[in-house]
Amino acid sequence: MDAHPAPANLVQALRLRLPSWLPAALAVAVGYYLAARLGFALTLKPHPISTLWPPNALLAAALLLAQTRSWWWLLLAALPAHLLAELQSGVPTAMVLGWYVSNCGEALIGAAIVRAFVQGPLRLDSLRNAAIFLLGTALAAPLVSSFVDAALVHLIGWGDAAYWELVRARFFSNVLAELTIVPLIVTWAAVATSTPHETRPARYAESAALFTGLLLVCVLVFDLPHREAHASPAVYYAPLPFLLWAAALGPAASASALALMTIATIWGAVHGLGPFAGRTPQDTAREMQLFLTAATVPMLLLSVALAERSRVEREAREQRRQLTHLSRVAMLGELSGGIAHQLNQPLTAILSNAQAAQHYLANKNADPALLSEILADIVAADKRAGDVIEGLRALFKRGEAHFETLDPNRLVREVLALAQGDLATRGIEVSMRLQPNLPEVRADRVQLEQVLLNLVVNAAEAMRACPPKDRLLIVQSTATAGRIHVNVIDRGSGFKVSPEQLFEAFYTTKPQGLGLGLSISKSIVTAHGGRLRATTRRGGGAAFLVTLPALPKQ
Amino acid sequence: MPYIAIVDDEEPVRKALKRLLSASGLEAESYASGKDFLEASALRRPDCLVLDLHMPGMSGLQVLQELRAAHTALPTVVITAYDEPQTREQCLAAGASAYLRKPLDERLLLNAISANVKRSPKENHR
Repeated sequence: MDAHPAPANLVQALRLRLPSWLPAALAVAVGYYLAARLGFALTLKPHPISTLWPPNALLAAALLLAQTRSWWWLLLAALPAHLLAELQSGVPTAMVLGWYVSNCGEALIGAAIVRAFVQGPLRLDSLRNAAIFLLGTALAAPLVSSFVDAALVHLIGWGDAAYWELVRARFFSNVLAELTIVPLIVTWAAVATSTPHETRPARYAESAALFTGLLLVCVLVFDLPHREAHASPAVYYAPLPFLLWAAALGPAASASALALMTIATIWGAVHGLGPFAGRTPQDTAREMQLFLTAATVPMLLLSVALAERSRVEREAREQRRQLTHLSRVAMLGELSGGIAHQLNQPLTAILSNAQAAQHYLANKNADPALLSEILADIVAADKRAGDVIEGLRALFKRGEAHFETLDPNRLVREVLALAQGDLATRGIEVSMRLQPNLPEVRADRVQLEQVLLNLVVNAAEAMRACPPKDRLLIVQSTATAGRIHVNVIDRGSGFKVSPEQLFEAFYTTKPQGLGLGLSISKSIVTAHGGRLRATTRRGGGAAFLVTLPALPKQ
Repeated sequence: MPYIAIVDDEEPVRKALKRLLSASGLEAESYASGKDFLEASALRRPDCLVLDLHMPGMSGLQVLQELRAAHTALPTVVITAYDEPQTREQCLAAGASAYLRKPLDERLLLNAISANVKRSPKENHR
């Protein structure tokens, strides 16, 4: 009997009844009201038009982030907020409703144009999206709605401003609002919904320094009593370094910095402070709007361009990493026969030793000294098998590069141990000529093992057609001033193409080869500050020389 | 007591096989390479040879070919830790009497040896 539903189920059932757009609609209602209050606060009295009217832009941002089917709910949610904000200011009801229509119209046009070209919620992560936003939401929508708005004002007979003056004032106010508010909301929404990845404390400190500096400069330039002596146009450039800094930090930081400067500038002018004060309200508003628009558009585009480039680079890096891993796994696949050999050898020793011991015990002629010797051999063979697995584990793993101090000779020995099974099944003899006491290198162990293993496997493959007595692999290590060299030499057939072609991606002589091994090996060595060169040897065979910068000897 | 020779380049394997055969009541001697074995077999011929396939220098297959070239009909059990599809046929064609994969099943190994040890005297008398 389950008469009492669990409380968690009840909560879930209640939650399921709530439409998904409801939280967004509530946020729009509250946001719209606050945005209207901010708009009033940024109005230069007695001029009736705000320098920056944020509610329309907030509505546009909400639509740009929402699914198209919930747009009507969001527009409807703005109505009570609109009425509440506007009716307090003593405007006739017909005018208030008219403005609601033109505000909604602006948001709808701006969002619809963007939605026609960009699928899903708008993200300012490419220049294409930024351009569509600028032309659609920040230019076309305010343009159309300003005409409608001014016409409504005239029809209803509110105020005595000239039609074109109204259009112009509304247009610039709305453009600046779209440019300031929409990127702010859209970029922060993207930050909030992106997969959280570790933000370093240094990044927070940098942002704090940037915004403190910007605020300080904006207050000094825009929010202090204005004196003619300080009227040099140069002061307008004072925030520029901070805006550039913000652009480098990303679109969200850039949009925030621009919003901060915009609010500081208008706030100063509204309070009779800063370089824009002291003219007629219309002139002050227009000058500020032009100045702020001219600053915002290029900064926003710059931040998006920088973010797009770094994203493309990040994606390319990730692809390279995957490709490196893929080629490593493919190489290990080629080695699988050798690995089977390498594991079967110790397994054979373990099994045969154990069975020998069973025989001795069964025949009651077990010599304890012999038994303990057998057990010691079993332990040693088992450890050897474990080492094979351990050596493979790191190579199969996919991970970020991890640089450490490494002994090149040890690396060579480890790689040859890994390839030992493959070399044995191919009947290849190995000659290690390692210079003792080589200086160490700073490198990623897995990547460097991949390079050496690739060279060893290639050398082994090149000697497939050699008579068995000639199957000799030489691995040499040497040091010269500031560098170490590892030379992998085979007695195979050499190569028939130019060394450049050899390192090209997708060049391969193996029927099942990907043709990526050498190309990836070369890029790994280059990334380590070294060089990978190939030469054909007189009398047959090839030599591949890895040169790496050596660490200074301790 | 039948005398068995073991050829494997890996010391731990060699040692373990020698122990196993000795514990099973056979006389066994081990060699690290085909060359070492061929030299020693001139002095004392084993009743059966347990021969590893993959060895540097001279492979098990080459040892079989050398034996055949010298008209030495030596019963040989080839053992290997890794093989390709056609390896078994190659070895049997080259004169191997049995072909076993490592790790070795003790019973299969001893059966293969005893079958050859019993059969070889008859073959020699034919």
